[in-house]
Amino acid sequence: MRKIVIGAVAVAFVAAALLAYPVIFRPWPDNDKPIVFVPKTVDGRVDFWQVLGQGVYLAGKEFGEQVQTVGAFAEKDVDGQIALLEKLIGERPKAIVLAASDYNLTVPVAEKIRDSGIPLITVDSGLNGGISASFIGTDNYKAGRQAGEAMANIVDKEAEIAVISVVKGSRTSMERESGVRDRLEELGMSGVLDQPYFSESSEEKSYEITLRLLNERPDLKGIVCLNEPTTVGAAKAVMEASASGRVKMVGFDSSTAEIAFLEEGVIQAIVVQKPFNMGYLAVRAAVNVIHGKAVEPSTDTGSELITKENMYTKENQKLLFPFDGR
Amino acid sequence: MRTWRPFRFKSIHTSIAIAFSSLIVAMTVLLTYNSFRLSEEAVTDNAKTYAEQLVDQVNTNIQTYLDNMVSISTLAMSNGELEKAALPGAAFAPEGRDANEKIGRFFRSVVRSREDIATILFAGENGNIVSDRETVTYKPAEDLQSQDWYRSALEAKGKVVISSSHVEHLFHGEYKWVISISRQLGEPGKRGNGVLMVDLNLNVINNLCRQLELGRRGYVFILDPAGDLIYHPQQQLLYSRLKSESIATLLETKDSSIPLGENGERKIYTIRTNDYGWKVIGVTYPDELVGNKREIRETSILAGIVFLAVALSISVFLSFKLTKPIKRLESLMKKVEKGDFDIRVEVESADEIGKLSRSFNLMIGKIKDLMSQIVEEQEMKRISELKAMQAQIHPHFLYNTLDSIIWMAEMGKMADVVKMTGALAKLFRSSISKGDELVPIEIELEHIRNYLTIQKIRYKNKFTYDIDVDSGILQCKTLKIVLQPLVENAIYHGLKQQAVLGHIAVTGRWEGGTIVLEVSDDGVGMNEDQVRALTERWHRNEEGRGVGLQNVNQRLRLYFGEAFGLEIVSEPEEGTTVTLRIPDIR
Repeated sequence: MRKIVIGAVAVAFVAAALLAYPVIFRPWPDNDKPIVFVPKTVDGRVDFWQVLGQGVYLAGKEFGEQVQTVGAFAEKDVDGQIALLEKLIGERPKAIVLAASDYNLTVPVAEKIRDSGIPLITVDSGLNGGISASFIGTDNYKAGRQAGEAMANIVDKEAEIAVISVVKGSRTSMERESGVRDRLEELGMSGVLDQPYFSESSEEKSYEITLRLLNERPDLKGIVCLNEPTTVGAAKAVMEASASGRVKMVGFDSSTAEIAFLEEGVIQAIVVQKPFNMGYLAVRAAVNVIHGKAVEPSTDTGSELITKENMYTKENQKLLFPFDGR
Repeated sequence: MRTWRPFRFKSIHTSIAIAFSSLIVAMTVLLTYNSFRLSEEAVTDNAKTYAEQLVDQVNTNIQTYLDNMVSISTLAMSNGELEKAALPGAAFAPEGRDANEKIGRFFRSVVRSREDIATILFAGENGNIVSDRETVTYKPAEDLQSQDWYRSALEAKGKVVISSSHVEHLFHGEYKWVISISRQLGEPGKRGNGVLMVDLNLNVINNLCRQLELGRRGYVFILDPAGDLIYHPQQQLLYSRLKSESIATLLETKDSSIPLGENGERKIYTIRTNDYGWKVIGVTYPDELVGNKREIRETSILAGIVFLAVALSISVFLSFKLTKPIKRLESLMKKVEKGDFDIRVEVESADEIGKLSRSFNLMIGKIKDLMSQIVEEQEMKRISELKAMQAQIHPHFLYNTLDSIIWMAEMGKMADVVKMTGALAKLFRSSISKGDELVPIEIELEHIRNYLTIQKIRYKNKFTYDIDVDSGILQCKTLKIVLQPLVENAIYHGLKQQAVLGHIAVTGRWEGGTIVLEVSDDGVGMNEDQVRALTERWHRNEEGRGVGLQNVNQRLRLYFGEAFGLEIVSEPEEGTTVTLRIPDIR
């Protein structure tokens, strides 16, 4: 009898312990693992990535996920990013939000990430073959068309227009350029120069190209620049050559320098992306994939055409001046 | 008829245990649920109070900043120099330049002493611009005069105007997020009129809001009276329409906490309004409280389970402890059923069980007494029967012997009378002596000899006899006067009717653990039917031939048990042998 009593007590305690176990040692799998954000650069001076990062962190907070940022310092450091990604696979994060430094070279490591079962979202810059579960970024072709339309609106139909692209073979610049050219052609602009110019994403190069163009082509009426350094370099040249009266400019992206040129009337319009939204939506997509929800294969975060007239609307202020302290 | 009774158990132990357990389970569930409910309410209340306190604090701080800006603008305007600077042509007149200088110095001293102030600037209608900056390129006066802060100040006609958050673009290449307070000086169209503007660094407010912790996901945002967002962590998402806030509803709501749903997700909005009509709104996610609630629930359940386990163990233990004496009583009772009356329950307590134990003991004692009384009575009965049987022999024999003595005396055989009377006297003495039932075989043989002596004299020339008993069994005990009836029988029924001289042999030996005494005669004997009839008569207790044998047989069996007694072997014209078996008792 005594044995039965002791047995009953023991069984009761074991049952209690078993029931209590999951409460005390809550085995929530991988909840401490973060979502890892890999931008093209972690350089704090590059506003675009800082703003994108803000969007990423805000989404992380909203969805209750930890977010960790790792990345190469230089945007051009493709190998550095690949090495980082290789290392990340071993750490098995909840998801990776990646801005691929190279459209093609990053593909193999991305395939590895996909094969290891880690959800992969690409943001801003996608990958050849669409390996990621979802791509969040600007539709550069559309953005190019916006720029083309803006240029067509401020110059004559016959006006001579040059397009200064960024890097030869770069997917982003190619998409933007064809957007610009297609839209200009659709609107019947006859004076678009066929010759491609490449700034190599360098302010100086763009400045030189523009100076040369201004000298060589006295009838040049419009310049479309396809990224920020290109725009700023070209605008400097136009201003120095005191050509802002005759040459209209449409640029891409925003920076303090570009905004100043916009205010001074050197640049007539700029097409700006929405990096904050990109970051936010990329993490939202990652969270959805983690929870097994369906996501769109690609999401266009859109772009805005900013002119001197609309630059201080409340919506555009926030796009152009993402930080409050500067 | 059998009815199903779910609450009837086979043992008290189970009944008590189940009663306790049900009670405990019910109480535990009730208490656990109650404590969970109370904690849940406490958590919800705490969260609400916490959110309200935080929002209150932010609201107060912002109010202070705005108040300060208003005081600064009031101070600057009461200075008197601004009017001078606003006079037409002041920028070029020495008086105006002097005023500009003084105003600039005052502005600088304020801005330098305060981190929250970004800029103080006065723009006169005359195109004169003075600010806290010494070397700076202003945007053209027309530009400034077309900006919101300037125009709305003119519209407000001297009242303080507070802008929403916006980018300050007064200076070339400088873009700062600020909140502007602007106020018109003088009256438009009149001499000496312009607008004074004080800009508050927005990051002061942003930091204030951003640092707030309203749970993991909660946040704070600020609306101005027009419904514009002064600060919102997700401002860009709202502008892109990726998210939305029910701004119209919030603007209409007085200071309170209200739940608002958005895509099925409920959020709690805690609203506070300051003197300038700004609404500071704290947003908390009830989901997070649910997380807390789950924690509380789990803790409550855990505590409940542990409590339950302990309580159940105790109840099982207690019920065992309580029913243990009853169980012991039950097992003792079983022993009693099997006939063991040498049992006593130890009385350990004075409670009902103790009383029951005591009664049990009394009862068992009484039963035991009664039992032994019965045994004793039986014994007494047996002894009295035996005595009666022994007594039966004597008159019978005495009658015959005395008959013989009379006959011999009549015949004048005095020697025989003496011999016979002597033997009779010995016979009686031996049978009366001490009154013991058991006597050594030796004594019994002596008795037989005396008896045979008497009978030999009575039946002269009728028989001879010899006694041949193993000397080893002479000291063994036998019931007394068992052989005599056998010899008597042999004489009367075997030899008496016979014309020839008969012989009686008495033998005794030890045989397989028992003692066998035999009395044989070579008289008329009996056939099988007669033997059967004789032995059957023993059982029927009938009078007649063999009354003596029957007596002996009964006595032997009464005394030694059924295994012992007499056995008759007889053959007509051959003789009869009566065998007597008794246990070996020394």
